[in-house]
Amino acid sequence: MSQGKQSFVVTDPDTHSNPPLLEVENVSKSFGGVQALRTGSFRLEKGEVIAVVGANGAGKSTLIKTVAGVYPPDSGEIRIKGEPIDLNDHSVSRMRERGIEVVYQDLALVPNMSAPYNLFLGRTPRKWGIFADNRSMRAKTREVLDQLNVKTVQDLSRPISDLSGGQQQSIAIGRAIAWGKEIVILDEPTAALGPNETAEVERMVEEVRDNHGTSFILISHNLEQVQRLADRIIVIHHGVTSQEFERGRVTADRLVKAITVGV
Amino acid sequence: MTDGSKTMAGGFLSPRQMEKLRDFVPFIAIALVILLFWSISGDRFMSIRNWTFIAQQTPVLMLLAFAQLIVVTTGSIDISIGSSLAFSAFVGAIGMLWFGDAGLLLGVVAGAFVGMVNGLVISLLKIPSFVTTLAMLIIVRALVIIISDGTSIYMTDGSVSGGTNISSVTAPWLLSMGKFPAIFIVAAVVAVFMWIFYEKTLFGQQLKAVGGNEKVLRLVGINVTAFKIKVFAAAGVMVGIAACVNLARAGAATPQAGLMIELDAIAAVALGGTPLTGGYGSVVKTIIGALTLTVVRNGLTIAGVPPSWSQVALGALLIAAIAISLNRSKVDVVK
Ligand SMILES: Nc1ncnc2c1ncn2[C@@H]1O[C@H](COP(=O)(O)OP(=O)(O)O)[C@@H](O)[C@H]1O
Ligand SMILES: [Mg+2]
Repeated sequence: MSQGKQSFVVTDPDTHSNPPLLEVENVSKSFGGVQALRTGSFRLEKGEVIAVVGANGAGKSTLIKTVAGVYPPDSGEIRIKGEPIDLNDHSVSRMRERGIEVVYQDLALVPNMSAPYNLFLGRTPRKWGIFADNRSMRAKTREVLDQLNVKTVQDLSRPISDLSGGQQQSIAIGRAIAWGKEIVILDEPTAALGPNETAEVERMVEEVRDNHGTSFILISHNLEQVQRLADRIIVIHHGVTSQEFERGRVTADRLVKAITVGV
Repeated sequence: MTDGSKTMAGGFLSPRQMEKLRDFVPFIAIALVILLFWSISGDRFMSIRNWTFIAQQTPVLMLLAFAQLIVVTTGSIDISIGSSLAFSAFVGAIGMLWFGDAGLLLGVVAGAFVGMVNGLVISLLKIPSFVTTLAMLIIVRALVIIISDGTSIYMTDGSVSGGTNISSVTAPWLLSMGKFPAIFIVAAVVAVFMWIFYEKTLFGQQLKAVGGNEKVLRLVGINVTAFKIKVFAAAGVMVGIAACVNLARAGAATPQAGLMIELDAIAAVALGGTPLTGGYGSVVKTIIGALTLTVVRNGLTIAGVPPSWSQVALGALLIAAIAISLNRSKVDVVK
């Protein structure tokens, strides 16, 4: 794979035969008069963890929502394994079918429903056509929680609002890794968590990446976390993906400057 | 917010115990209400005759409360059900005039139709359910007046030959369905189906999820818009069934049937401990809610309380029941 040292890279029309897993090129998105995203560009290789950092309102969530199919971008192109996706037929369901899952900021879970319901959100297996197959849902939930090494969720029938923040986040991440065979996108997954729970989430990400080769896009304000986890760091400033840094080649001060000033 | 529930617990009950207790409020309420009227009116209240009467009065309200429960669980409300009840009864009665007994089924179809129109307007035009169904309450009632021309259609048992009176249908079977054991059995059968539908099916689960957080469902690509149309249609089917039962019980489709009954249905749901903000609900407790409302009204009448004062008492009971059963730690915004 290309180990280019370019720092403004978008896509390099160079020689490698295997196209990147995901390429996002110059996507934009406005809401009414507000241009939330002006030019968003990045690429993601298989098994890679990239981080997207930027100030509040910089357009991070908007960028990943255009990728996830929540809404199509107003312009630009998104390619998966080199194949452009049809933006007229761009939807969350389509992207989920392709193994791309998102843990949305603040809106990942239905609080009054059980852990198995949330883990299978939108994919509830049926029994006799009209019933949920609760038994297999519970079994799978246990399996996913075991895989994430989460042992503390005991009663799977309780609404998840009864669980701690960390436990809830492990269910949200569990859903994403259970179905996101290709790409898991985490939008500020540890913003509401304490240090121990944050460490747990980081451990989950590394474990899944190492064991399953899943690619991650991590949005985070925690720059130490970003430096620990990400192979590359994409900086977004006023709706523009302005800079890109390789792992270990950037100081915290340099990152802060890029985030706040844009250069 | 947690502090609130601690003070509620009065220091001697844990929040978890408080929650358990809250779960039982509808049952405790009906037990107290029955004991109260029993002690006031004695055998005049606690007689087989009076309870047969209550068993005959409750089913229509219970079925309408089911319709309301379906909608309220998603966080919406349907106040058109009283008008829809009258409309469905008329369509059912006209169906029987035109097509014989099986024409009654058109009443259920009519209820489903009104529900579907509600759902379409709410989902596609994005008009809040309260406003949409308020408009439908007015429109559908007007339709009833238009198609009925202000007159009723009577069900007769055939003993009096009505001669050329075209506004009557000879349907002794339907009239006997409206009397005690039959009406109770019909209501019980529908209640069992409702319980399975609401508590066990995927559709029932989805009702609670939509009430819990609709945005999350949309973000994972679930078609909430289409689902809500089905929700209002399902409630409409229940209103249609209630209309048929009401036709049997009242023996006539009248233009003023079901006036204000939407409020009773909402009250029954609330007395059953279901938050009007959606996300939770219980069929069994909704049945208890409908029964409580009927018993209180009946008990006050027997005790000789004038009707207006009965209404005051019912309103106070409603507020008291909700105040006790509401879990304030789960409510952050009161609208
Ligand atoms: N659905 C929306 N409707 C209107 N404006 C939006 C919407 N989503 C985001 N925005 C606006 O777009 C800008 C970028 O938002 P967002 O992508 O959420 O930023 P970030 O995730 O980087 O904090 C903000 O100004 C925000 O108010
Ligand atoms: Mg954001």
